[in-house]
This record gives sequence, C-alpha cells and structure tokens, in this order.
Amino acid sequence: MKLLVISQSRNRAGRVVQVRKEVTADWVRVGRNAASEVLLADPRIALNQGLIVDRNGPVYTEGEMGTMTSTTRRAVRSVRLAPGTAIDIGPYKLTAIPAPEGYTGAITVELVRPADNVAPEFLARAKKLTLASLGLPKRAVSLALFVILAVGVFLLPAGRVLHLPWQQPAEPVVATDRFWNPGPLILSHQPIQEKCEACHELPFIQVRDAACLECHQRIGHHVTPEFKPAVLFQGQRCAQCHRDHKGVRSTFRDDDRFCADCHRDIRSRANGAQSQNASDFAHDHPPFRLTIATDTGVKRVRQGAGPIEEQSHLAFPHAVHLDPAGVRHPDKGKVKLDCAACHEPDASKRNFEPIAMARHCQACHRLEFEPAVTSRQVPHGRPAEAVTVIREFYANLALNATQDSFEKAFGVPGAGLLRRTGAPTDSQRREALRLADGKAARVAMQLFGTRLAATGRKSEQVSDELFEVRVCRTCHEIVQKEGADGPSWDVTPVRQNPRWMPDSRFDHAAHAQSKCTDCHDVTKSKRSSDVAMPSIADCRKCHGGSRPEERKVTSSCMLCHGFHEQKNPWDPQFKPRHPTRLAAEAARAR
Amino acid sequence: MRHQSILEYAHFRWFKAALAMSVIAGAVYLWHDPPVKPYGGTWLGYTLGTIGALLILWLLWFGVRKRRYVSRVGSVQGWLSAHVYLGTALLVVATLHTGFELGWNVHTLAYVLMVATVASGFYGVYVYLSVPGLMTANRGDETLDAMILKIDDLDREIREKALSLPDQILKVVNASLDGSRLGGTLGRVLSGRDRACPTAAAVRDLPELGKRLTGDVAKLNHEVYTLLLQKHEILGRARRDLRFKAKLDLWLYFHVPLAIALLAALSAHVISVFLYW
Repeated sequence: MKLLVISQSRNRAGRVVQVRKEVTADWVRVGRNAASEVLLADPRIALNQGLIVDRNGPVYTEGEMGTMTSTTRRAVRSVRLAPGTAIDIGPYKLTAIPAPEGYTGAITVELVRPADNVAPEFLARAKKLTLASLGLPKRAVSLALFVILAVGVFLLPAGRVLHLPWQQPAEPVVATDRFWNPGPLILSHQPIQEKCEACHELPFIQVRDAACLECHQRIGHHVTPEFKPAVLFQGQRCAQCHRDHKGVRSTFRDDDRFCADCHRDIRSRANGAQSQNASDFAHDHPPFRLTIATDTGVKRVRQGAGPIEEQSHLAFPHAVHLDPAGVRHPDKGKVKLDCAACHEPDASKRNFEPIAMARHCQACHRLEFEPAVTSRQVPHGRPAEAVTVIREFYANLALNATQDSFEKAFGVPGAGLLRRTGAPTDSQRREALRLADGKAARVAMQLFGTRLAATGRKSEQVSDELFEVRVCRTCHEIVQKEGADGPSWDVTPVRQNPRWMPDSRFDHAAHAQSKCTDCHDVTKSKRSSDVAMPSIADCRKCHGGSRPEERKVTSSCMLCHGFHEQKNPWDPQFKPRHPTRLAAEAARAR
Repeated sequence: MRHQSILEYAHFRWFKAALAMSVIAGAVYLWHDPPVKPYGGTWLGYTLGTIGALLILWLLWFGVRKRRYVSRVGSVQGWLSAHVYLGTALLVVATLHTGFELGWNVHTLAYVLMVATVASGFYGVYVYLSVPGLMTANRGDETLDAMILKIDDLDREIREKALSLPDQILKVVNASLDGSRLGGTLGRVLSGRDRACPTAAAVRDLPELGKRLTGDVAKLNHEVYTLLLQKHEILGRARRDLRFKAKLDLWLYFHVPLAIALLAALSAHVISVFLYW
C-alpha cells in the first residue's frame, strides 16, 4: 500500500502549512508512538491508536488488530477512507482525499483541538488527586506526636525528679513518673513504690548500697570481713544480685548455680575456707556439722566420723522417760510421757522452748526434804538458798513444832521450845539449836552430798529411801567445798544446746507431719551425752537436690542456707553486738 | 536486564545479614543466664538495647538518605533493602531486649511503637511489591495527565455533538460534562469510586432515553453514547489509578509519624532508665 499523508497545520500568521509524506507499507500505524507512520503527537492519543490497512482501498481500524494496547479497546471501529470521509481521532481530524496517481489513498491529518486551546473544564475539577494534595498531614502529625510524647512521658516525669531551680518543693498531685516504673516491686518494697528516689537517690547513678542499708541495717556479709575470701566480694553492689521491679516475689534468683559456682570447689576461690565442697544437696553435699558448746567454747563436729557426744552436765536418760510402760509419778503411779511433755514449741513454732525444771521436771522430781512435811520443797536454782531454807525450816520446828512433829523430825522426845511450859533455860535453847542445825546439815548433805558422802552418812543416820532418789545429784553434777562453816555445794550449770545447726534454716512446724523420732531417735538413749541430731541421710529420705525428682522435695541451697552471714537469723533473742560493717560504712557515707 | 526487587538486592545480602543478626541474638539470649530473669538491664540486655537503639537511629536516617540524591554511600535501592531487612531484625533484637517483660510504662510504649512502625513498614513493602504492577496494567500506556486531557477532549466532543439531542438527553449528558469529578475527597481517592458519578448515570440512562429516536438524531445519540462510554471507562481507570497511588502513599502517613513518635518514646525510655539507674 502506498499512502500519501498530508499533515496540515496553521502557522502564526494563520496560513495553512502542509507537510507531505509518502508511506509505503503493508499497514500504516496511527498513534502517539514515534515509530508510527501517521504520528499523532498528542497525549490524548493512544500509543498505538489505530491502523490503516488496504482492503481494496484504505480502511482505518481501531481496536481490531495490532492495537491491543489501545486505551479505547472497547470502541472498535472500522471506517473505509473513501475520498471525502472525515473521522475524528481524539483531537485530530483525519480526512480522506482523492488519491493521486500511483497512490492507494491519500489523507490529510489536522489537529483541530490543540491541548492548550481546550478550556480545561474537567482538569479544573480534577484537583486534589493525591493524599498530599488532600492536605493529609505527615510532618505535622509526626511533630505533634513527638512533642506530646516528649512532654508527656519524659519532661513531666523528669520535672518531678530533677528538682529544677524554679520548681516549688511541693509534692505534685500526680506521680507522673509512675510510667517509668518498668515492673512491679516485691511486696515489701511496695510501700515506697511511689517514691522512686528512696532507692534511686542520685540521677544517673546506679542504686547505691547505702540506700539498701538504710532499712536493711542488720544484713551481714557472706563471710565476715576478717576472712580473706571477703576480698572476693569487695566492690560488689547489693543490686548485682538483688534486682527489683522483677515481680512481687523475690529480688534474687533462688538458684543453686549461683552458690555452686564457688562452692563446687570452694578452696580454689577461698584458700582458707572451712566448709567442704557442695554443689547439690542430693549428691554433692558433705555431712552436717554440729555446733556443740563445751566448757572452753564452741566446737563444730562433722557427722559421720564416729559417735558424737556432748557434755551438758545433766544426767538425763531419754530411754527411761520414754519407757512405753510409763515412768513412776509420786502421786499418779505410772505415767506415759511423750516428747511434747517436755519439748514445747516456742512462739515461732520453728524451735523449742528451753527445758525448765519447774515446768517440765518438778512434777515428779519434787524437792521435798522432810518426809513429815511434804508441802515444803527447797527452791531450785541456788544451793546456798536451799541450805538456808532447810536451816530456817528446822529452826522453826525446834521453836514451834508440836510434840508429834518434833519427835518425827528430830527423833528425840519433846516439843517446840515455845510450846513447853515455862521459860526455856539456856541449856534447853542450846539443845534446840543443836538439834535444828544438826538436822539441817544432815538433810543438806543428803540433798547435795556426793554418793560417797551420802553413803557414809547413811551408815550413821538411817534415812528415807524416798529421799535417797530425790537428791540433786540425780540429775546434776555437784561439787562439794569444805569451808569454815561446814561444807557448801556448787551445781555445775546445765548446758542446753538450743541450736545444733545455728546457720541452717530449719522450721519444725514445716515438718509437723513427721514424728519426732523419725529424725531424733532417742527411745534407746540412756545417756544425756548422746546426740540425736539427724544425719544428711535422714534429710535425703524426703529432700532431693535442685533437680526435680520423683517423691522428693526439690531442695535448693537456699532452702536451708542463707547467703548473708547472720548469727541465728531466726532467733528472736539474737542481737548483733554492733551494726554490720556495711551498715556502718553506709552511715558514715551519709 | 531483569527487574530486581529490593528484597533480592545484591543476592539477598541484607536478608542474610538480618538473619545472621537475629540468629546470633537468639542464640546468645538462650545461652545467657541472667541474675534474676532476662530483662533489659543485664549485660546482654544493654548490648541488645544498644544495638536496637543504633538500628532505630540508622533506620530513621533512611528518611534523610533517600532525599540525598548526591550521596554516594550505597544506592538508595541498597539502603531500602537494608532498611527493610534490618528493620525486621530489629523486631527480634528489641523483643529479646525486653526479655518478654511488658507493662503499662514508657518502656513498653517504645516497644509497641517500634512494633507498630515495623508492621506498617511490612505493609508498605507489600504495597510496593504488589501495587505498581496493578498500576501499570491499569494505566496501559497512558499517564494520569493524559487521561485527564483525554476526558477533557471527550467532553468537548460530546458537548459539540450533544447540542442537537433532545433536552431530556442533553440534561443527562450535561450533568456528566459539568459534574464528573476525579478525586477531591479522601473517600473518593481511597475507594477509587464515585458513588454519585453523573457519567455512570448517563451511560446507564442514555440507551433507554434514546430508544425512540430515529434517523440522524439516533445516530448522533449513539455517537454521544459511544463517547460517554469511552469517558466512563477512562474515568474508572483514572479513579483506580488515584486509588493505587493513594495506597502507595497512605502507609507512609502511619510509618513516618509512628517512627518519629518512636524516637521520642525511645529517648524517654533510654534517659529515664539511666536517670533511675
């Protein structure tokens, strides 16, 4: 096909200018595309708007073939370009004119509606097409959010903390730094939860030990400062192990690993350590060490190396008192005793009250000294007072006794000095005093005397058998001293051991489901020197290690041990002699 | 040259970097044995927090870098790839930094803003990967300006031709000429529709109204109808185009303010933590 294309336009003067172009092709492309043979350079025209093909003469088609990218796909048209036919292609007018000689066809193309001549009516309405042109704010929102957050969560709370010079010292209504709290405090710290500066004393300085020690004054070191391993802990802060804001339960991790890090091989860390290696209660823990008081001080004896004995200066066979058949009572015949008859829980229920003569022993072990007068007993405690009471008792008998009592007490006929008729003579008075003193001395000797002395006395003075078993030496060790006024006696003080393992945290109440004898088997014990403390094997029957184990209580180090050195941590009577070094340093630092 | 998405930039270089960072952070977290429980104040917590804070500052710097056309520190494409992947890694690093300890406080606020920013970024990546293809397909070989010019041109042509049509039809056609809108409100831009489009009404009503017409007027009516159909079609595409463009833009209206808010919350978090050390 050979086509003559005449592009027609008007110059500034309004004169028609024609550009002729000869196109020879099988089909002629019409469109905005620069490769088009008929180039319609206008944005309103599709890239490949249409084609002119030869179908027995030129035919303009749109959307049929080769124009799949046409934007007017829907509007399919096909127009035969017979001379005189005019079609609109967008803003262009395409007119067919008679073909000159040798041409298949001829067309003129003219832009009839130039883009800049179009009154942009629709364009005027097509404003605000993007989010930005709709005025959707991005920077303003960003800035606003930044300012709101900076003021709300930083400047306001910081204003409370930083005590700026223009601020009034008055407490703000709202504790705005509440939002800075990263997590709940442990329960005991919650009363000061709103008062951050109680612990966080200085801005940008880590919590100092002084803040902790203000309340925790009695907290001790892990090892006393005199020991070398204390160096290991120098420069450590409380907060390195104790982290608050980590839940309401605890500030530290109850974790054997923490202890075992050092105690697995303790001497590699602390050369002079007295403790043995331990890393787990179930399978790596030494036998217990008992703290036993002696005449010269306290000794610590480890179980497992032979029997352990203590010296309490008291004669007490548990076996006799716990005899299943009962023990003899002066009034009630045979009485069965159990542990609780003597061992009473103290106020804490963790431990036991000391054994007291008056409460626990004297119901049976009465301190009567005169068979004829069973209502009188010597006071327990001081031998000298007992002797005085005896002397006064017999002196009173010598003065006041009826004939019957007098004869029973002194074994001679007569009556109290004041009950006789007439004024007593000098010799009668001296005789009465001699009788009273002599009897008192014998009774005192019977009470306190050593077995040898008592036996010697027995041969010359027949005495009550009942009396024989009630003497002090039944339970006590007694030392006799000879003085100018006759013999006197000292009772060796009895030593009760209240805490065999004073550093352990053992709660008897927590073990109330067990029988006493499960751990303390004393039913066969005939001597008070027997020590009936349980061994680690006894504990391990119920207590496992740090890893869970079937039918065992999982037991970490902290179950029984404390980290901080505290003598008798649960002993309500315990008073430190002076504040710990840490507390003293804290006080100085203030 | 095959088109390479930002996700596969430089053979997934930044994906590998982000993956390595996340895996290392996770492994150290599992190995780490903190004094009480994992949180931001252990040595690992401080380390992860520092990495996270630096990452956030660097990610924010992307807003500056992408405007620096003369900068030669990597290509913007590379920066964007790294921005996406390291932003994802930040999610892991910051989460481990928290030790999964969250509450109603400024610290968790910073974390939540960080998560929200990253989430909006994920949506942005999705939009950037899916919408441009749809947009190109919708546009064909035209631009939005060309479509608007074309509609204007069609309007002119319709206006000329419709003059000879009966009043009833002219009224409907004029409504399309004078009342058709593109954009203008957020609802229309985001929906890509105009419920009350007069052109759609004209296209719907014209065949019915022109039923009785005969001869030249009927032919003219058909021509006008054809032109209205074209206009309707272009209008529809232009509106969809607006919608696509809005979709490409919209997420940034969340991503950027959230990121700036995060900067404020992060600063408050860091300063408050050390103020009350």
